[in-house]
Amino acid sequence: MSGILFHKYGGEDLDSYYPIRPECQADVPKVRFKARAGKTLSARRWHAAFSEDGHLDIAKVLRRIQRGGIHPSIKGLVWEFLLGCYDPNSTFEERNQIRQQRRQQYAAWKTECQNIVPIIGSGKFITAAIVTDDGQSLQDSNRDSLDQGWHVDGAISDKKVLQWMLGLHQIGLDVVRTDRSLVFYESETNQAKLWDVLAIYSWVDNDIGYVQGMNDICSPMIVLLENEADAFWCFEHTMRRLRENFRTNTGMIGVQSQLSTLSQIIRTIDPKLHQHLEDLDGGEYLFAFRMLMVLFRREFSFVDALYLWEIGFS
Amino acid sequence: MAAYRADEDYDYLYKVVLIGDSGVGKSNLLSRFTRNEFSLESKSTIGVEFATRSIRVEDKIVKAQIWDTAGQERYRAITSAYYRGAVGALLVYDVTRHVTFENVERWLKELRGHTDSNIVIMLVGNKADLRHLCAVSTEDAKAFAERENTFFMETSALESMNVENAFTEVLTQIYHVVSRKALDIGGDPAALPKGQTINVGGKDDVSAVKKVGCCNA
Repeated sequence: MSGILFHKYGGEDLDSYYPIRPECQADVPKVRFKARAGKTLSARRWHAAFSEDGHLDIAKVLRRIQRGGIHPSIKGLVWEFLLGCYDPNSTFEERNQIRQQRRQQYAAWKTECQNIVPIIGSGKFITAAIVTDDGQSLQDSNRDSLDQGWHVDGAISDKKVLQWMLGLHQIGLDVVRTDRSLVFYESETNQAKLWDVLAIYSWVDNDIGYVQGMNDICSPMIVLLENEADAFWCFEHTMRRLRENFRTNTGMIGVQSQLSTLSQIIRTIDPKLHQHLEDLDGGEYLFAFRMLMVLFRREFSFVDALYLWEIGFS
Repeated sequence: MAAYRADEDYDYLYKVVLIGDSGVGKSNLLSRFTRNEFSLESKSTIGVEFATRSIRVEDKIVKAQIWDTAGQERYRAITSAYYRGAVGALLVYDVTRHVTFENVERWLKELRGHTDSNIVIMLVGNKADLRHLCAVSTEDAKAFAERENTFFMETSALESMNVENAFTEVLTQIYHVVSRKALDIGGDPAALPKGQTINVGGKDDVSAVKKVGCCNA
């Protein structure tokens, strides 16, 4: 990146890594995170933590992350380890092989999806339903330009295929509302990238499918990792920890078991607060639903949420 | 616009839910009513979010506790918590997307299945500023509202059109329903009497709704 001034003792403008659209400046939370010399994991420290063949001294790296987070210039690379995509004890060579295999696997899934819905991977995406609940293809002459370039022949009988297709427009409706204050998502290509990754994830993890909120979890991966397949695998590894929160059964969403844990914790450590919440009929702690579902992404600025996450992951 | 008042200072507290398909503008209706804000960059609602505002109805201060819900079908899993204790509902569709109007019936069924029969319901056709994209005629929506015995208004959160009216109307109607019965229950201003049949108005109320639709011939 050009035009970034490095100050050795902090004060560096981190916004230049994830620039905010000027007209949105007033709407986003103030950034509190600052890269601190000697505390934040820098690019130099990161590269120095690898042995010659690529073994990573993860303990040293983690200590630093816990003290001051990760410098934005290397966040994507470090997150791949934090999320468990790669074993720190592996070599450069081994990781390269895994990366290639994973990219191929992603490409194969993407092809499967493209064969059903050709707009996947086209750089465009849909925001209106393409099938009815009973599998009839919807051909709507009023579709806007976003929605052209797909066609579905006949009725969809395969249940897995139908379930997946029914969720695609919801992903689109959410993508157009995800982190739109970031300059990054002014690009329709980047929006489509987020849509593709979520669409393919919901194809692969059809047990959970797509649930609103996954867009907030996935978006940082798209921003941090340039390669779409690498971003997918980071998201997939994040979801290994979070997917139960998104599971919906009759009368229950997974995250509610965390809300009840939170409720028990508050009842134990601050019974007065708990009683107050009960009196307000907040006993189910639904006010914390969003906080836990999207890991405080809505409470903090983009940069600060990433900082919180990487401390949590480390 | 009615004065914004301190939170603690109210006579009645009513829970109102905002429901309808994803992306119809529920959150912007809420932010327009409670904070007089609108955002083109608004984010999807996760689970349930809340806001309150107090308004004056006749000589009382009525505080609305409004529950804004996620539109995705999957979130129906926490339906019972949404609807518990709700005395009013704004059922929102997007006048530019006909499918969101088609789904109103499904929403209404769910709403009625989970709430007291006295609940005050208003059908709301939002995004009425997008006149050239209008896909649901005012007549169709009005006919539906009459058939289903709900109130009806077309709104624009963007242009701040009818938003105040829609919420105020719902709160006023709730007030009338509650105060008709409140004489019996005395002390507790927040309580809606349970297990009693309260008539929340019929066709006359609906036809009194303003004619400011985007699709009027």
